[in-house]
Amino acid sequence: MEEDLKTERKGQLLAIKDLPTLPAVLDEVSKLVARPESTTEQVARLISMDQVLSAKVLKMVNSPIYGFPGRISSISHALMLLGFNVIRGIIVSTSVFEVMTKNMVGLWEHSIATALASSTIARACGLRDPDEYSVAGLLHDLGKVVATVQLPELKTAIESLVKEKDLTYLAAEKELMGFGHDRINAWLATHWKLPPNIKEGMDHHHSPQTAQLYPEMAAVVHLADFLARLYEFGSGGDDNVPFVAPEAFKILKIKPKDLEAICDTLGERFVEVSDLKFT
Amino acid sequence: MEQALAGCVFSRPQRIMLLTPDPGLRSMLLSLWGPEEVEWTHYEHGRGAIEHLFTDPPDLLIVDNDLPDIKGLEVISIVKSENVYRQLPIILAAGEEAIAASGWCGVEVDELLITPSSPVRVKSLIYLTLARASRSFDANPLTRLPGNSSIIQRIQEMMDRKEDFALAYADLDFFKSFNDKYGFSRGDEVLMMTARVIVTTIRSFTGVKSFVGHVGGDDYVFILPPDIVETACQRVVESFDSIVPHFYDEEDRVRGSIVSTDREGVIKTFPLMTISIAVVFNLDGRLTHYGQASQIAMSLKKKAKENKKSCYVLDNRGRNAVREEPA
Repeated sequence: MEEDLKTERKGQLLAIKDLPTLPAVLDEVSKLVARPESTTEQVARLISMDQVLSAKVLKMVNSPIYGFPGRISSISHALMLLGFNVIRGIIVSTSVFEVMTKNMVGLWEHSIATALASSTIARACGLRDPDEYSVAGLLHDLGKVVATVQLPELKTAIESLVKEKDLTYLAAEKELMGFGHDRINAWLATHWKLPPNIKEGMDHHHSPQTAQLYPEMAAVVHLADFLARLYEFGSGGDDNVPFVAPEAFKILKIKPKDLEAICDTLGERFVEVSDLKFT
Repeated sequence: MEQALAGCVFSRPQRIMLLTPDPGLRSMLLSLWGPEEVEWTHYEHGRGAIEHLFTDPPDLLIVDNDLPDIKGLEVISIVKSENVYRQLPIILAAGEEAIAASGWCGVEVDELLITPSSPVRVKSLIYLTLARASRSFDANPLTRLPGNSSIIQRIQEMMDRKEDFALAYADLDFFKSFNDKYGFSRGDEVLMMTARVIVTTIRSFTGVKSFVGHVGGDDYVFILPPDIVETACQRVVESFDSIVPHFYDEEDRVRGSIVSTDREGVIKTFPLMTISIAVVFNLDGRLTHYGQASQIAMSLKKKAKENKKSCYVLDNRGRNAVREEPA
């Protein structure tokens, strides 16, 4: 019975046809692609700030019709391969949330903060392609957005449960749905044929010790999520600073005190995006 | 009576073969275009037509379902079962009852001309069938880009019109060793990616005459105005070099090379794939024949290949210039 319900909800979540975003970014991107002198880098930078547009672009470029599913995990590569016409098509067909709640804005800010923290940590640890860590960080809570659109009643119930019992968002999801947004992320990433490294960052960011193929990716996003919450940049849906898995440090071969230097860099990078407005 | 179809003109005269015993259908078809546009060959019987068809195939074949000696569908099935004639588009002409009863679905018919019909309908149908056939005729089966005949035709047309243009030949280095190690389907992924990089780069120059074709394998061609082509080459090289490492397994990507066995069975190390582009300019009608362009391009290619990195070579009317991306 429980399994049946889970399968049914998985089906509902994956059936998502219209994934909306926040109007402010969409407006900006629309203006940018309408200008003939805009460069790929400018468009890539802006799309990299929006988890929904980034997800759509990666889903498109990794779809089998282009012939190289699961290969592209960088937004700028996706733009080089899709071209302005296709990007314009994606942007034109993206809608915005009709009702924009405070929680949503908080989640968008939290996602950017996690993206910035991910690439900062990856650089500090000397990992290759830090921008790909940024993508996984940006998309780490996408499951929450998809659940909001496809299972709106549950979303309200999760939010009240978080307040009522002072739970983490993940714990409340598990209590009410039987699975968390990390699991939704795994379903989405598989269904959309996203590259395996991005997938592991998305679905193991709460449990880096269980990541099989790309433990560094999961560990980076895990710590980045923690730092974003520590700085209270945006909101992940609850007020808890989450538990840090000690394995994350081991995987990345760093010590907790190394986070200090990372925090210094991160503080500066947060200033760069502080004028970004979603409302 | 020549029925006008706004904007529909053939790029060259078309040769159409018609098999019908019906004088009404014949005279209607022959009245659709003037002799400078369409050259008709007419047979009343099926048998005599087949030999002609095989030795000198037309651009389009129209077959009446009711031939006096052999079934129309049989003629079609004979033609379509031979690989060399399969791309010849065929229209089956029949009345509604025959269409319902003849079982044409089992034969590779390309279009149906349901009689009786009007001149505008028939003319549109024929035009559409020819246009569709020329589009899909030599499209590369993997990338769907125009293939060799379309490429040659395009280049020759531009030369005949004495237009200024730059013709770029792009190919991959160390593609074979990648294919040997990772297999054909991973190789196809790289070919699709390369096609996409070239197409999006060329399309990003709006409002200019451009063309992209896929000769086959790892050989591509693109045409742009001479003043833009260098920027385009730079962008193609840049995008390709930044994307291609992601098509290797992590181990090889980190090492920056693959270990593979060459044709003689010797284990060798190969660098990651690079792209080489040779650009030939046609200015002031300098080139008159496609063969000249490809000959110049091949000698430039050799120059490009001496460089181990991705690069492009411009044919500056004799003075060759090799450019590579700064590492």
